[in-house]
Amino acid sequence: MSDVADPPLDTLLLCYCTNLTVGELREACRARRWPPAGKEQTGKLCTGCLGDLRYCLERFGHHARD
Amino acid sequence: MSSKLSGLLSATFAEPAYDHLVELVHQRDATAHRRLTSVRMSAHDAKGREVLALEVDPAREIFDLGAALGARSEPRVMVLFDARYDAAIFPYRPHHYAYLHARGAADAPLYYAVNATLGGVPDRIGATNINNIETYVFRPRAFAERYSVMLGNVSRFATAQAQVIAYYGTERVGHQVEVPPKAHAETPLAADLEGVRLSRVETKAPFRLASYVVGRRAESRQLVLFDHLFTYAK
Repeated sequence: MSDVADPPLDTLLLCYCTNLTVGELREACRARRWPPAGKEQTGKLCTGCLGDLRYCLERFGHHARD
Repeated sequence: MSSKLSGLLSATFAEPAYDHLVELVHQRDATAHRRLTSVRMSAHDAKGREVLALEVDPAREIFDLGAALGARSEPRVMVLFDARYDAAIFPYRPHHYAYLHARGAADAPLYYAVNATLGGVPDRIGATNINNIETYVFRPRAFAERYSVMLGNVSRFATAQAQVIAYYGTERVGHQVEVPPKAHAETPLAADLEGVRLSRVETKAPFRLASYVVGRRAESRQLVLFDHLFTYAK
C-alpha cells in the first residue's frame, strides 16, 4: 500500500459525503485550518471515512480532538 | 449537470457459482436514461488483497458481476464499486441494486440494495443519523438453516475492531471481529441458543463497514438471505 505521506495519494477521495481529498486534508493541516469551510461535516455523515480521517489527521500532525 | 461530481463507494460480497447482476442506476425512464459518470470495480480477497480491478462502462444499465469475476479460487471476495455521479441522477438515496441467484438452485433469486458504504448520504436527504451501529430483526419463523454476518472494511489505512452481537430472547452472544483495510470476514451465528431462536443481530464498529446478514441452506450452503442491516438510531 502507498503511504499517505506520498503526494500521489493527494487526489484520493477521502470523504465521499463532503468530497474531501487527502491532498485537501494535508493542506488544511499544514495551514492549521482544519476543517476548511464547507468540510465541517467530514467523517460525520456516512462515517465510513472516519477511521481514515483520524489516521490522516494524525499523520499530518493535527492533534486536536473534537 | 453540475460541475461538482458526487462520490459513492458501494460494497458487496460475491461467491463462486452465482448469477450476480448489478443495476448501476435504478430508473424506469428509458427515454431519458441517465448514467453514472464513471465506475471502477475492484475485488478483494479475505485479507484485503486486490485480485481484480476494471473500469465498468457507465453506459451499461446492468453490470454482470458474476461474469466479470469468472471462475475464481477465492471462496468469497468483497467487491467495491467506486462511482462518480451527478446528484441529479439519484432522486432517492444513492444506491446500486443487485440480483443474486445460485446457478441451478430451486430457491428464489434474491434482490438487494448494494451497501452504500462511503457516501450516499448527502445532506439533501437528511440522512445524518449515526450509522456505524446497525441491527437486523429476523423473521419469527426460520427459513434459513445457517446464519452469519459478513463485514468488510473499505478503508485505505484504518483497521476496524467490530462487534457482532446475536440476541436470543433475553440472552446475547458477542463476537469480536478485526478487519484490516479492504479485508472481510464472515461471522457465523448460531440459529438458536438452548432452544431459543435467533431473533436479532447488531453490529457495532468505530466507523461504517460494509455489512450484510446472510442465511444459507445447511447442506448446499447456498444463500437464501442476503440483506443489509439497518441503522440503529432513528
